[in-house]
Amino acid sequence: MAETNDTFERLVRPHFDRLYRLAWRLAGGKADAEDLFQELLIKAYGRLDELVKIDEPGSWLCRVMYNLFIDERRRFARRRLHTVEEGQMAGDGLAGIPGVEDPLLDRERWEKIRALDAALSQLSDEHRIVVLLHDTEGYKLEEIHGITGIPVGTVKSRLHRARVRLREILTQNGTFS
Amino acid sequence: MQTEDTDRQDQEIQALLKDYPMPQATATFYDRALARATHESTRRQRKRWVMTGFASAVAAGLALWLIGGFFLATPILPDADPGIPGITMTLEEPRTVNLMFASATALDAAMLTVTLPDGIELAGFPGQRVITWQTSLSKGKNLLPLELIAVSPVGGEVLARLEHKDRDRTFRLRIDVS
Repeated sequence: MAETNDTFERLVRPHFDRLYRLAWRLAGGKADAEDLFQELLIKAYGRLDELVKIDEPGSWLCRVMYNLFIDERRRFARRRLHTVEEGQMAGDGLAGIPGVEDPLLDRERWEKIRALDAALSQLSDEHRIVVLLHDTEGYKLEEIHGITGIPVGTVKSRLHRARVRLREILTQNGTFS
Repeated sequence: MQTEDTDRQDQEIQALLKDYPMPQATATFYDRALARATHESTRRQRKRWVMTGFASAVAAGLALWLIGGFFLATPILPDADPGIPGITMTLEEPRTVNLMFASATALDAAMLTVTLPDGIELAGFPGQRVITWQTSLSKGKNLLPLELIAVSPVGGEVLARLEHKDRDRTFRLRIDVS
């Protein structure tokens, strides 16, 4: 058992930071992201036989996490009732992120990031995820296709629509005059 | 049509997205998650074995029932969803359920709607299936105690919907009655 656990840890630990961030981008907040991260590890441990044979465990883990999110997002969205510790209402995705009160960010810029956060919460999951993975996390279109299975052309059009929608929202709410 | 303004705004949005804060796990989260994964995975495997045994026992029981032709009246319960938290209540015995809402900021004038299944009542609101009221949430955890009473053995799901401006979230609680 100890050997199995060591093997598992050796395969998954190098990808933790990337997976944690992906979980956050998918789920939109700390409590749900940590649930998702935890569920991924449980699922991956149950599929260790498969995991040890995979050349790129990081990409595989990202795909499994995405599928888990899609399959269970409704369940994750409801879970707050009994597991909430640090949850937030939708649109408060900045809460709980270290450094949000960064004094290096001037007040005006910080207000704009808050407005962006609120605007992101108004996008559909499909658009929000694509724009965050591409424009914030720096994933390439092909990589997003690899994780989500969505055709590159569709990823591209969702990215375009997401940016247009963000601009509309930020213009309507007066962030951009 | 793209104008100079929209180009500038698009650039600014992309710059803001680049600055959008990066979440980082706390120092102990990964270790705890790893420990839970190995423990939980083992527990679930064990549970699967137990469930298989239980299913066999039920099948055997059902076969006996078909042969014997007995009728046993049992309350009809909705299909269980393992993702929904649940409690078991005793008929006619009030029980307080605490709903916990966490909010990153204080919220004024949030609207809370509780929808009850047939057979479950909220103390003080006999016969009402939908109860709505306005409330304020403090920053952090907010506890809402609901005193529920089962007036029939049917059970079902309690829905609590919290709305604030254009945001909303619905919680579900499954209630079985013994």
